Amino acid sequence: MLSRVADNLYWMARFMERAENLARLLQASNELLLDGATFGSRSFNDYWDPVLTATAMEDQFRTLYPSGTVADVGYFMTLHEGNPDSITMCLRLARENARTVRDQISDEMWTELNDLYLFITAPDTLSYFQRSPQSIYDRIINGSLLFHGITDATMARTEGWQFIQLGKHLERADKTSRFLDIRVHSAQSGHSLDSIQWASILRSASAFGTYRQEVGGEPVAEGVIDLLVFSTVFPRSIRYCVQCIDINLHAISGSSPGTYSNAAERLAGRLLATLNFGGSSEVLDRGLQEYMDDIQQVLNNIGQCIFETYVLLPQDAQSVTFVPSTEPQQLRWKELQAQQQQQQ
Amino acid sequence: MFAGNGEVRAHYQLLRERLDTMSKEELDQKIRSLETLFLRQGITFTVYGDQRGTERVFPFDPIPRIIPADEWQTIEDGLVQRITALNLFLYDVYHEQKILKDKVIPEEVILSAAHYRPEFRDTDVPRDIYIHICGTDLIRDRDGSYLVLEDNGRCPSGVSYVLENRMAMKRVFPHLFDSAGVRSVDSYAADLLGTLQYIAPHAKPDPVCVLLTPGHYNSAYFEHSFLARQMGIEIVEGRDLIVVGGHVYMRTTRGLQQVDVIYRRLDDDFLDPKVFRKDSMLGVPGLVSAVQAGNVALANAIGTGVADDKVTYAYVEKMIKYYLDQDPILKQVPTYLAWDEKDRGYILEHLPELVVKAANESGGYGMLIGPRASKAEIETFRGLILANPRNYIAQPVVYFSRHPTLTDGTVEGRHIDLRPFVLSGERTHILPGGLTRVALKKGSIVVNSSQGGGSKDTWVLHQS
Repeated sequence: MLSRVADNLYWMARFMERAENLARLLQASNELLLDGATFGSRSFNDYWDPVLTATAMEDQFRTLYPSGTVADVGYFMTLHEGNPDSITMCLRLARENARTVRDQISDEMWTELNDLYLFITAPDTLSYFQRSPQSIYDRIINGSLLFHGITDATMARTEGWQFIQLGKHLERADKTSRFLDIRVHSAQSGHSLDSIQWASILRSASAFGTYRQEVGGEPVAEGVIDLLVFSTVFPRSIRYCVQCIDINLHAISGSSPGTYSNAAERLAGRLLATLNFGGSSEVLDRGLQEYMDDIQQVLNNIGQCIFETYVLLPQDAQSVTFVPSTEPQQLRWKELQAQQQQQQ
Repeated sequence: MFAGNGEVRAHYQLLRERLDTMSKEELDQKIRSLETLFLRQGITFTVYGDQRGTERVFPFDPIPRIIPADEWQTIEDGLVQRITALNLFLYDVYHEQKILKDKVIPEEVILSAAHYRPEFRDTDVPRDIYIHICGTDLIRDRDGSYLVLEDNGRCPSGVSYVLENRMAMKRVFPHLFDSAGVRSVDSYAADLLGTLQYIAPHAKPDPVCVLLTPGHYNSAYFEHSFLARQMGIEIVEGRDLIVVGGHVYMRTTRGLQQVDVIYRRLDDDFLDPKVFRKDSMLGVPGLVSAVQAGNVALANAIGTGVADDKVTYAYVEKMIKYYLDQDPILKQVPTYLAWDEKDRGYILEHLPELVVKAANESGGYGMLIGPRASKAEIETFRGLILANPRNYIAQPVVYFSRHPTLTDGTVEGRHIDLRPFVLSGERTHILPGGLTRVALKKGSIVVNSSQGGGSKDTWVLHQS
């Protein structure tokens, strides 16, 4: 597959997943704010600053809104076109990427993504947002879930599909780690986390229901960390996502599980091993923030290595491999399938 | 749709009856669902000169244009004859130039054409075919005969609308098709792919074909990705290709893969910054040398623009006679050439009655419609013609037939033309129908999408 196309598919999935996670974060945060009683006299800054910090949008926000209010944050993170990381801009980028590779994705995938984009850019969206932000977030979350579901149900498991999964899982793992970060920032401002805030983190990752089933009781640090970082069954846990990344990378390169053929595979394998043999007590001993920072760093590096291995266009032709033009596409397909079956 | 006496022509009778059974509300609702369908699927073109890169839906009129089988047969025969002559002409002007030596066409007309590429003289192209994909614009005259308005032998666009219009019509107005006997347009992508494979260098089996696009900001990007998807080939941008050792490769996740045939939707000027425009970021450095070495084939070939130059157009009837010794089946519009002194005199005296066109413009730009032009506009063109006579031609105002078209809930006549698509490979394929463009503005004869035109589904009927 064309390097540029692989890159477009990867970013299409990343931006879609990013929009969904932002929507869920804002939805959970709005709900938390409604439980305002528990905050007592805490100021706006105590509440929203961690959200802006963890999503790395703080500076941008302060520039645009020197004296920001709650409503400003919501608009800024959701619809503002001057904020390159707003949900609207994520969806625009997801769609731009999809538009350049329309021949590679199914019609149904395109239509759903395009619908979502037309929805968020429609002229009446602002007034709708002011009346009912939560329903905007619902629509975005559902749209993204639908998009991923359609992808699963309509797209052949080719190399392109693997790149989409890579983008999705890398973004998902990164966002889950940042949700944990957010309340760490809150805690640093002198308040310990209570169960309501842990519950909000779980909601941001769509994990509250699973927590009750798998862990049970009031949300507490150990339980939340075990679920969101180390669970092997919850699809948004960091370990689960890294496991998928590991599988996707091997499916693309064709190297055997447990070995590596490029830097991305090596980093992913090592991170997976750390998570396979880690646990919440280790995280709390070391400090949640530090632990999450490390994970985010490795995830970034994996992304960079994927780019260097598969996308970065070789400028001098001597250093590249030539694909024999007689290589039957069909054969590669079968190999991929066989690997997938082995891994599942 | 109507004969001269106001009666519904026989092949429209069934459509008329079915349209009559629909209420205005029902029709309105169906139109809206069509527009939503196009918007949702992103069947749009980009409007240039708009900073946000606004995408618009190409306006679509749901009343189909119908062409009976015998009428279509004449068009088809005429188009096959015409493309055959044009390809022989291109071979000739890029080899012996017999037609110029025999003074059938004045040498200076061809050698001065903006799109003539003298550096490609004596370069062979696979199978001696130059124009593989042609979009020939036709109009229907007062007496019902079809005239050729122009040949688009460089990168004609619009075929995706033909296919999407049909798909949309089937979905929204299925009952109109029932037993109407409409010929399918489904085979286009397969025929196009077959044409591309046929011109592979050295008749290589299973050649790798790609579609080269200027990128997703191009107004026709939807069409490029649509066709690539339909054919199951890669759509590439210039930066995806690299020339190594005289061969063209695409950069893939597994390394470089050789490319054999390029369906390019990029004008000659932008193909290769080493040879043509130096500032082109869209092309592939070294591509032209790979073509000249015979290692990769282009569709259409480089230099076909000399055949769709509007001055060359004036000589196509003579070409048909010269190469094929046949009379042209499709007539064309009488054309006055400003470079010819006698014609120029006539043009300058009759500007208010004539349509003046620049020889190398398309999309309805660079054109003067005498009867509608102001005095100042006429004088501007007089100056332009005198300054550069080679670049202008003039034609009498031609009659564009009108077709019932839905406008704000009522049906009115609007001017239409027809662009059939011709594929020349192992044999010549002509897509039954083509793109019927309609000038949606009352009285207008400009059908280009960039200037307020829309389109209709075109039905060619089976022989009954």
